[in-house]
Formats: sequence, structure tokens, C-alpha cells
Amino acid sequence: MTPVVEKYLLDLRMALSGMTLAEREEIVDEIRAHIEERSIQSGMTVEEILRRLGPAVELARDYNNGALLRRASRSRSPWFILRTTYYWARTGIQGLILFVLAFVGYVAGGAFMLCAFLKPLFPDQIGLWIGSSGVIFGVPASTEGSTEILGPWFTQVALVMGIGFLIGTTVAVRALLPKLKKSQHLARGVRETELIA
Amino acid sequence: MTVIESANKWEVQLRKGCLEMAVMMALFRGKNYGLGILRMLEDNSNLLLSEGTIYPILNRLRQDGVVDSEWVESELGHPRRYYMLTHKGRERALDMARAWLELASGLERLAKPVVSRKEKSS
Repeated sequence: MTPVVEKYLLDLRMALSGMTLAEREEIVDEIRAHIEERSIQSGMTVEEILRRLGPAVELARDYNNGALLRRASRSRSPWFILRTTYYWARTGIQGLILFVLAFVGYVAGGAFMLCAFLKPLFPDQIGLWIGSSGVIFGVPASTEGSTEILGPWFTQVALVMGIGFLIGTTVAVRALLPKLKKSQHLARGVRETELIA
Repeated sequence: MTVIESANKWEVQLRKGCLEMAVMMALFRGKNYGLGILRMLEDNSNLLLSEGTIYPILNRLRQDGVVDSEWVESELGHPRRYYMLTHKGRERALDMARAWLELASGLERLAKPVVSRKEKSS
């Protein structure tokens, strides 16, 4: 194998970030076998073979996209789902919308949970306040002229709301990810064929 | 975007949308490796295919459980990764082939008069 091929395979290995070590090695072995076989059978130059394979980073992206989506659509970890949607947000408007949905949902869920845990520490500052400035859930700028109506029940309500947002966001994103996967495969196909043409 | 550009883009999408099905059809004939599948598709279909496309598709099909793989030492002295359809994959390939033929024959009845009328007028 020439240094050019080794460099290509190294770039591919480095860029396969969404894969386990075993998957990564198997993919690199397969691409290495493809290059060897092409070289022996067709007599093409290494540069031509690598050009036909496409840049290592793009090849890795195709593998990573599938792997990340597959894992995220099975995962229940908000952090992993958020990371995956962030990755997809950079690929198109649908991915961006999904990321915003996931971000807002998880931030809202996290904020409710935080309020629930802080309520016992700051019972007079955190609550569901109703007064002259309207309805405020959380910490108002001033409690003057407002009444806290949930009292000790605030913690339970905030916990339920927080868990509800976290679960609801996870379920919604997991349901929408496979749809994104289909549309992105099609979009990628168009890009690649345009490159060939 | 012009009408021609739009039609070209549609054709490209159509071809690429068929790619996964084409790979499964190629494997229906028996186990094969990446380059072998590429050659079969080049010889038997007019799908435009960049070489880097085939491997992520095969990987995805394997993760979906419709394709299995094994490494075999080739006569050229290096290992090849052969792919074969699983039982689930064969069933899916059959369903896809039936659906495709049904769709294609229906559309052909609509498309043929369009082409023949266009040829007559020109």
C-alpha cells in the first residue's frame, strides 16, 4: 500500500467517529480490500481509485450518518439524541428544525427539573406565582403583589412537568429521526450522482 | 431552476431511490462482494453509482438485518467481504421486486402514449 492509500485510510478511520472500534476497523479493511482489488484487476492508478471512492471524510460521513441515526432512534439518552440532532442540523433545514425541537424540549425539561430541586432550598423565591404581573412559573423578578399558589406541591408538579418534557421530546425526536434518515439518503444520492455526472 | 434541470434532478432522485433495491436484487442471485456488486449493477442497470456509495449502503442493509456478511480469502491473495441476503432480506427483495414490476407496468401504460405522441408531432 502506498503512502497515499495509507493516508486515505487513516483519514477514513479518524473520521468514522460514530462507530465502535471494531466497526471502524472492519470498514477500513473493506475499503483497503476494494483499493487492492481495483488496482490489481483494472490497473487503475491509486489516485483514480481514490477519486472514484470520494473523499475519505465524505465516505465516513455516509457511514456515520446511518450509525448515529440508528443509535439515536434506539437511544433514550437526551445527551446522545441532542448530539445526533446537532450533527444533522448542519446538513439541512429539516435537521435544523429537529435540533431546535430537541434543544427547546430538553432545556424546558431541565429547567422544570431544576426548579423542582431548588424549591426546598428557596421556598419563598421559587413557585407558581399569580399576581399583577401575570402567571410566572419559577423565579419572578419580584414577588411583591404576587401569590404563590402551589406551596409544597410545586416540587411534584415541576418534577412531573420536567419528566414529561424530557420523555415527550425523546419520543418525538426518535419518531422523527427515521423520516429524516430517508430524506437525507435521497438528498445524498442526488449530490453524489451530480458529482459523477 | 429550468424545466430541464428540474426533470434531470427528478430522474437522479428516481435512480438513487432505486439503489438500495438494486443492491438487494443483485444479491438475490447469490453472495457477492462490493466490487462484484458494483460491476453487476454497471452491467445490468443504468444506475449511476459512485464507488464509495455501495459500502455504506451494504453496511446499512447489514444493520437492518436484511444482509449478512463473511470474510473469504480471494484467489488474488487478499480477503474479500462477501454479502448475502438473509431470509428476511430475500423476502423483502421479493416484495420490492413485485411492487416495482407492478408500479412500472402501470406507469408504462401511461408513459408510452406520451412518448409516441411526442415522436409523431416532431
